[in-house]
Amino acid sequence: MMRVPFSYLDRQFADLDAFLADLRAFIPTGDFTLGKPLVEFERRFAELSGMPHAIGVASGTDALILSLKIHGVGAGDEVITTPNTFIATVGAIAMTGARPVFVDSEDGFVIDPAKIEAAITPRTKAILPVHYTGNVADMPAIAEIARRRKLLVVEDACQAIYGAIDGKPVGSWGATAGFSLHPLKNLNVWSDGGLIVTRDDELARKLRLYRNHGLATRDEVEIFGHNSRLDTMQAVIANRLVGDVPARTERRIEFARRYDEAFADLAPELRVPRRRPGVRHVFHLYIVRVRRRDELHQFLNARGVEAKIHYPIPVHLQKAAAHLGYQRGDFPNAEADAEQVITLPAHPYLTDQEIAYTITQVREFFGKT
Amino acid sequence: MLSVPYVDIAGQHAPLKAELLEAVSRVIDRGEFVLGREVEEFEAAFAKVSGTRFAVGVGSGADALVLALRALGVGPRDEVITAPNSFIASASAIALAGARPVFVDVRDDLNIDPGKIEAAITSRTKAILPVHLTGRPAAMEEIGAIAKRHGLAVVEDAAQAVGAELRGRRVGSLGSIGCFSLHPLKTLSACGDGGVATTDDPELAEHLRLLRNNGLRTRDDARMWAVNSRLDTIQAAMLLVKLRHLDRWTEARRVNASFYRHELAGAVQVPVDGPEEHAVYHTFVIQSERRDALKEHLQARGIGTSIHYPTPIHLNKAAESLGCGPGSFPITERQSARILSLPIYPELRPEQLAHVVRSIREFFGDGNPERVPRSPHE
Repeated sequence: MMRVPFSYLDRQFADLDAFLADLRAFIPTGDFTLGKPLVEFERRFAELSGMPHAIGVASGTDALILSLKIHGVGAGDEVITTPNTFIATVGAIAMTGARPVFVDSEDGFVIDPAKIEAAITPRTKAILPVHYTGNVADMPAIAEIARRRKLLVVEDACQAIYGAIDGKPVGSWGATAGFSLHPLKNLNVWSDGGLIVTRDDELARKLRLYRNHGLATRDEVEIFGHNSRLDTMQAVIANRLVGDVPARTERRIEFARRYDEAFADLAPELRVPRRRPGVRHVFHLYIVRVRRRDELHQFLNARGVEAKIHYPIPVHLQKAAAHLGYQRGDFPNAEADAEQVITLPAHPYLTDQEIAYTITQVREFFGKT
Repeated sequence: MLSVPYVDIAGQHAPLKAELLEAVSRVIDRGEFVLGREVEEFEAAFAKVSGTRFAVGVGSGADALVLALRALGVGPRDEVITAPNSFIASASAIALAGARPVFVDVRDDLNIDPGKIEAAITSRTKAILPVHLTGRPAAMEEIGAIAKRHGLAVVEDAAQAVGAELRGRRVGSLGSIGCFSLHPLKTLSACGDGGVATTDDPELAEHLRLLRNNGLRTRDDARMWAVNSRLDTIQAAMLLVKLRHLDRWTEARRVNASFYRHELAGAVQVPVDGPEEHAVYHTFVIQSERRDALKEHLQARGIGTSIHYPTPIHLNKAAESLGCGPGSFPITERQSARILSLPIYPELRPEQLAHVVRSIREFFGDGNPERVPRSPHE
């Protein structure tokens, strides 16, 4: 039986020599905090994102928290997002003191722009669309609403490094965007890590202060700030990986295309989400909807295909969200997804044979050969 | 000329390089980058260092403070009492938790004056956050008694004081929660940012674990809104290597401190150890009226020094809204013009220590600058 792993870490780092050689040179420098390799990585990430500024922070969660707080979002404010996301998106809003307000997702797991306006109140300060799974939210529509209603837009691009709409990259639509470098992300380091990108020079300057205790110089504190710095040691790792992002992403996109094609005739038992034209979906997660999800999940795992569920409980039904007063039925799409989604391995370290094997297993489950 | 840099991070890491890289490779081989086995091992080992039942690894010392305050329910409209002469993070943590920092002046030992705390307590005061500045324990017995009398929590800012003791009890175990930094310049340091929160209370420990990990009890069960602030597994693996050397390093700092104290007494004001006080000398801070000239003099002789910190927290722009102008905390303000931190790290060689002492004596016109100081290792 073939084994198709969900995680790619052992393949990606099967040969450690080059990484360890970099670290062997780096560790004796002691340049551990906001050091030279970090500056270099920020420059290269900015270039990859097509944005003038990238600021390394401790995690994708912090990238969102700092982005919201630097704009003054806090107690008494509301921030609109979708319950179809990883918990950290919403945790970030709550950590600023603001209230998360949910809007249901559309077919592609991203916020439905048509439902945003109904959720806006006088307290709404920002919209926080999530480019969930690596799909890109409908940013032209969201930006238009934000402009008209004078709202801030912060993009949660944690899963969408190198994503774009009609060539315009994620991170370029909002005031800032947060990215994650968590070990399972499309660009990953050996620990938690994140980045904020922005086109605004003054905002970039303030974010650099804000991630570093508010220190304008070693001895002058301009604002009470966080300690949220991307470790320079992790930037050493990232510098070795960042150049590969376009090629690796193309491979993810190619695998997703093969899956999409191979599953086209399985509807309505298995439904491939709608692919919006012009979107460079980077397929951090390749997710389809299946009525007999739990059965398929078991079947695939028994056949060696490591499928996962992202996520079985939508955020608004988590215990953490109880105080917000939402109930089952409030967000039908997100709730249906929680019952039907299944994530197939689609990372760039898989072989053509493994993708073909996965396709065969899925089709076999539905009695198709 | 003999050079004595103020810090020498590279000097600590060069001899450990092979061991550190081996520890890192073990983590990579298992792919356990987030909350992996070494984090638990390090937490267990660190709990022994702090003399507590629990230690929770977090992203930084600053985060340890923020999470500790949050775990204790400190938030908007609350006040937290601390010292104004610390690193900014002591006060920022309070502000980031949504509360208001309230400062109380310090004593000659650079730690918060317990005699002045009660006057600062209001109906909004929720906690006292004493700082064990320079690695010297604050007056925890007096502070504990005040906290008990007023029903306040005590959060120890032990960022600079890993392993310090008061009457045989380790810092980190003397309040509700102890907060440590593992920043590269600390006495026990990660090769990046890192921190630890310690406690004896199982509920607080569990609360801290949720707060550092997006509120997740399991992958799919979010119990509360929270941040992501986890000590990296890779850092924990390297810290386990370094932890084996901690006692030796701390002892070397104390030996260096005692040498300086003996050789410099009379020329400058030197820090002294109180009874049953085991300070770990993260910094060795002397005081002199002629601080700035002395600093320049030492610089010219290749000796790096530092000032912790030249501007008290309350006089920084960040603290403007708190409304404490110059004169609010006279002892802190006076000290800020007098304090100077000398190189104190374990890797200092005897001739470097002697050069520091000789240069300081020379500055103060010691009759015989060529007199060779006693060796620190005699």
